[in-house]
Amino acid sequence: MRNTFLVCYDIADPKRLRKVFKTMRDFGDHLQYSIFECQFNAIDLARCRHALGELIKHNEDQVLFVDLGPTDGRSERVITALGLPYTNLDAPCIVV
Amino acid sequence: MATVREPDAASDYLPARMLNEFVYCPRLYFYEHVEGVFVHNRETVEGALRHAKLDDGKGELTPADELAADDKLHSRSVTLASETHRLIAKLDLIEVAGGAVVPVDYKRGSPREDRKTGELIAWDPERVQLAVQGLVLRDNGYTCDEGVIYYVATKQRIRVPIDDALVAETLAAMQAARDVAAAGVIPPPLVDSPKCPRCSLVGVCLPDETTSLRLHKTNGQPVQQTLFEVDPPLSAQALDRPAEEEEIRRLVPARDDLRPLYLNTQGLRVGKSGYVLKLQEKETVVQEVRINEICQLNLMGNIQITTQAVQALCEQETPIAYFSMGGWFYGVTHGLGVKNIYLRREQFRLADVPGFCLRLARALVAGKIRNQRTMLQRNHVEPPASALAFLKEMQLDAERAEAFDVLLGIEGNAARVYFQHFAGMIKLDDPIAPRGEAADFNFDFRNRNRRPPRDPVNALLSLAYSILAKDLTIVSHTVGFDPYLGFYHQPRYGRPALALDLMEPFRPLIADSAVLSAINTRMVTDRDFVRAGESVALRPEGRKGFFRAYEQRMDTLVTHPIFGYRVNYRRVLEIQARLLARVLTGELTTYPVFTTR
Repeated sequence: MRNTFLVCYDIADPKRLRKVFKTMRDFGDHLQYSIFECQFNAIDLARCRHALGELIKHNEDQVLFVDLGPTDGRSERVITALGLPYTNLDAPCIVV
Repeated sequence: MATVREPDAASDYLPARMLNEFVYCPRLYFYEHVEGVFVHNRETVEGALRHAKLDDGKGELTPADELAADDKLHSRSVTLASETHRLIAKLDLIEVAGGAVVPVDYKRGSPREDRKTGELIAWDPERVQLAVQGLVLRDNGYTCDEGVIYYVATKQRIRVPIDDALVAETLAAMQAARDVAAAGVIPPPLVDSPKCPRCSLVGVCLPDETTSLRLHKTNGQPVQQTLFEVDPPLSAQALDRPAEEEEIRRLVPARDDLRPLYLNTQGLRVGKSGYVLKLQEKETVVQEVRINEICQLNLMGNIQITTQAVQALCEQETPIAYFSMGGWFYGVTHGLGVKNIYLRREQFRLADVPGFCLRLARALVAGKIRNQRTMLQRNHVEPPASALAFLKEMQLDAERAEAFDVLLGIEGNAARVYFQHFAGMIKLDDPIAPRGEAADFNFDFRNRNRRPPRDPVNALLSLAYSILAKDLTIVSHTVGFDPYLGFYHQPRYGRPALALDLMEPFRPLIADSAVLSAINTRMVTDRDFVRAGESVALRPEGRKGFFRAYEQRMDTLVTHPIFGYRVNYRRVLEIQARLLARVLTGELTTYPVFTTR
């Protein structure tokens, strides 16, 4: 079962910030500056926490993991937008 | 059944970790050590990540004879072997003090509390693993009387004295483990064990499902058609048995949380950067898809993929399936996959046993006819009583068919009647008014035709069977079968015969049903088709709509008729393939064909 997470980070050093951004691209969608939206199961969450834990400086930076609950059937219940639209992909498969 | 082992395998070094697994669960040991199956879950990933940190040690340890009495040393990730016991161990940490060495093993969990004394002690599998480390150290000339397990969750050190009793226990376990590997017969699953729900291999092992089917065998009440026994096939009443009395724990996840990726746009190029697939059209990136969020990649027609992407997908064991632009299934690229050769050996052996093949084929065909009947009953506007009666009769005939050609005839007759009434399940309430040139398509269905399909419904059916065959080919691979050798379908060049065997009961339930809902809910409309000579094909937009309908069907939760819990069809396919594997290796006597009520 996957949960939707917002991963928000505050990184004190631009070089590390860049690295954190690059790492996060493997785990989720870039939603806003310093915020990624991720669909994590327990394994991905462990991997992501580990990867970021290795990168950041623990006495200067901060990463928050915000659990938004199960991804299934989330639709517009959890996130709504003002201004630019927010779209959430809730299809059983990806077709391009 | 499978009693074949390489003769020298028993004398191989046995890793300490495998002995840990053996004490935890002999079946888990067999899967990991003998069959080479490994599945990650949260626990194993966390353990691996933790060890990645520990493992950056140099792996050096001063030899025993150079060790001074007052040396104080710490060595990380040292690998040592014992020649006498033929054991090998990787030691997380070795502490040397006062001439004695103490192995320290890191475990992610917490210690257990002794029921009587309330004292914190180490779990049995971990004590045995530590004892192996002690034995290996002693064999290399060190003095080692105790070990330590460090529990990461509670940050506690638990001392384990390596005494004669523990050593004897360990050596006995070692011998038992070697015997199990040498026998090549998988040990039975644990019964109702609290260890199972958190075991990473639970979806492979199916402990409670296997136990329940085995119990029915011993009660002399096979759940469904018997494959090895010669008694007459069971009556329809037996097939209609309700869900089992005792409830089976649902240990497998209800649905796969990974999604299939279909690439349908001609000229697309698939590249990779990091763990992200980049889908490019000309120079622009159309979409990015993370590799660990997809369970398969389907390429329809002219789509390029880079070697880097193929390698990354193989590494993740994500299969890549290739189709022609029209949906003809060409093949699959896979990672190295399951090393389990015993299953394939049994598959090849039993494919030559006509009695076995016939019994399995009967069960599959009867199941398919039963499911076709259920489809008509559920979805037809006006379920035709005569057709339903005929299908029932055909199902019973299939169960007692004496030969393959008889069975083929029965299957053909049933299919003819079923497709005669197929049109009755197409329920478009407001047929769209003709719009000029597009009006020469409609969803009238007369009969099944193919190669090429000559009307829209047949075009959809052909595509549906093609991608269902793909899914079952992938499942057969995952389980360790050779998809090209079947029991009912005869081998022919390039035909995934086993996948087609497994597919029979699912044709109506998944493929036909997906076609019907695609049409009835207008996920595919009459504008989505194009005619080329005699044949009718789908336009790219229509294919897109159909993939969605198909995957929606695959994602539907369905109650398993035997186990009584709800899982989606994608899981059902895998469970059924694993159950067939159990029949081949002799663990089960009956193959429970999947039918719905």
